[in-house]
Amino acid sequence: MKNTETFAESLARCGVKYHFAYPITPATDVMKRMAVILPKYGGQMMQMESELAVSSALAGAACSGTLVATSSSGPGMTLMHEAVGFMCAAELPCIMLDSMRVGPGDGDILGAQSDYYVATRGGGHGDYHVIVLAPSSGQEIADIMPHGIRLAYKYRTPVLFVVDGVSAQTTESTTLPAYNDYSAEFDTTDWAFTGTQDHPKRALITGSYSHQDGYEMNEMLRAKYERIRENEQLWESEGVEDADLVVAAFGIHGRMCKDLVAKMRADGKKVGFIRPITLWPFPDRAFEALPDSVKDILVVEMNLGQMVDDVRLAVNGRIPVHFLGKTGGDLPMYTLSDMIAEANRILEK
Amino acid sequence: MENLSAKYGKTLNLDKLTSYCPGCGHGIVTRLVAEAIEKLGVMERTVGIVGIGCGGFSHHYMDIDAIEATHGRSPSFAIGYKMAMPNNIVFTYAGDGDTCAIGLGDLLHAANKGMPITTIMVNNTVFGMTGGQMSPTTLEGQVTATTVKGRDTSTQGYPLLVPEMMRAMPGVKYLARETVATPKGVRKARKSIQKAFECQVKGLGYSFVEVIVPCPTGLKKKVKDAYDWCGNQMIDYFKPQVFKDETEQGDVA
Ligand code: SF4
Repeated sequence: MKNTETFAESLARCGVKYHFAYPITPATDVMKRMAVILPKYGGQMMQMESELAVSSALAGAACSGTLVATSSSGPGMTLMHEAVGFMCAAELPCIMLDSMRVGPGDGDILGAQSDYYVATRGGGHGDYHVIVLAPSSGQEIADIMPHGIRLAYKYRTPVLFVVDGVSAQTTESTTLPAYNDYSAEFDTTDWAFTGTQDHPKRALITGSYSHQDGYEMNEMLRAKYERIRENEQLWESEGVEDADLVVAAFGIHGRMCKDLVAKMRADGKKVGFIRPITLWPFPDRAFEALPDSVKDILVVEMNLGQMVDDVRLAVNGRIPVHFLGKTGGDLPMYTLSDMIAEANRILEK
Repeated sequence: MENLSAKYGKTLNLDKLTSYCPGCGHGIVTRLVAEAIEKLGVMERTVGIVGIGCGGFSHHYMDIDAIEATHGRSPSFAIGYKMAMPNNIVFTYAGDGDTCAIGLGDLLHAANKGMPITTIMVNNTVFGMTGGQMSPTTLEGQVTATTVKGRDTSTQGYPLLVPEMMRAMPGVKYLARETVATPKGVRKARKSIQKAFECQVKGLGYSFVEVIVPCPTGLKKKVKDAYDWCGNQMIDYFKPQVFKDETEQGDVA
């Protein structure tokens, strides 16, 4: 199954009721699949006329406490940020997918990881974050979806999945979960906008609030983001305990790191890897805990260097950080042998 | 305020002073919306989605759930909400700037989808809250903060006739333009706003009412002059009328 279809199946099987989307390569297969399967689960995919309308409808539906989702790609995400910022201010849960393609501007439909900055820095104006999950395979998409939904409801926040466009379109075998509505684990009655029959007037005011209310909202969000930073860092690592060199990469390059480490270890080279699974909060702890044996870190991305900034912040000058990245054109990514060659160059320097 | 509640019902919150300027048409339209909700007995399952601008405050004066949407997007918010809560009543309320400048795309597509939601567009031909700039509905020759020599149609186009744009859409089941510039106009506007909500309660399709109102502050006119101008120049161009009424079908749910 294509990983975009896996994403759709995972959404539907984990309880997503409504999916709003606008066609865009390489994310469109998600909405196509949702249009077919959601009615079977009592839901609906609604194709909107623009991504501005998509994210607004998403926010409107999320106000009711219902589990909702969207799927898009770089230029579409750019437009969606208006209402994503609204949802963060209003504390509304939802699941989003950015099937990343190359930019800037409208870019090209080739897969890339060029949305790391906008994904992890909020994307719109004001001080906010969304939780960002970066699965590296179809199976991980299916496995991590329940966790993503729980995070969305636990913290009442949009949760963004980022998958590079190459992985998104990869076909691989995946075991899908049985149907379970994970949002049902959470009680929304104390905040959902369902009409005043069971609560006094509720008003979602995210624009014309008073200066005092605005200040309090921002401080409340700051505290929430600190809790998320503290409790929700996720990563996979291997071979770092005695490593001379650690390779850090997310998504598809992160997946390739497993082979890289196995191959280089077989050659007697002490190499380990860290694959961040949450991009926000960034797994600082994985880097802070690196042993003194680690002399260098190599960051590999399908972009011109974005996550590398967070790695540098995480090690705070303690370990030199190198970068290997490529994006766009006919060859949008480095191969495993390119990565090994660069790792050897650093080890031999 | 008990006596007034007995007269006006529970939807209109009479304990609050409005933030509208003296003589603003929003006050009348807000009351008419509250009356329609009250009359249909749907207050407890109604959600107002308001835009950015002076109309964004309208929900403060009604005891209903409310969402202040991003600028121009309230129709899309309403679509999402209605899908998730099909038995609830959802209306959008915003000015001409919000509804037909930044939000025109969302508005026309929402109307064309024909989903049972209701839009009240309050048209005073200017951006009121930001200080009287030109809006898409500013009349030809009208002086505003950004059309200092009057709106020049050769570069700035013509005042936008929104219901006329929706007329051909089959999903639109109730479509009217009214005014509150005169007592007679208020009576007609009351009826149209009620019909628009009734259309939704019956689940028939999209309903839309444009209400022509004076904005004394944005128009930089005394209250009386603003009403005179609204009741003459404005409604001469924006002619009040019921364009479409297909509400006489189906039962009230
Ligand atoms: S600026 Fe105009 S529209 Fe706004 S409250 Fe004052 S009179 Fe009403």
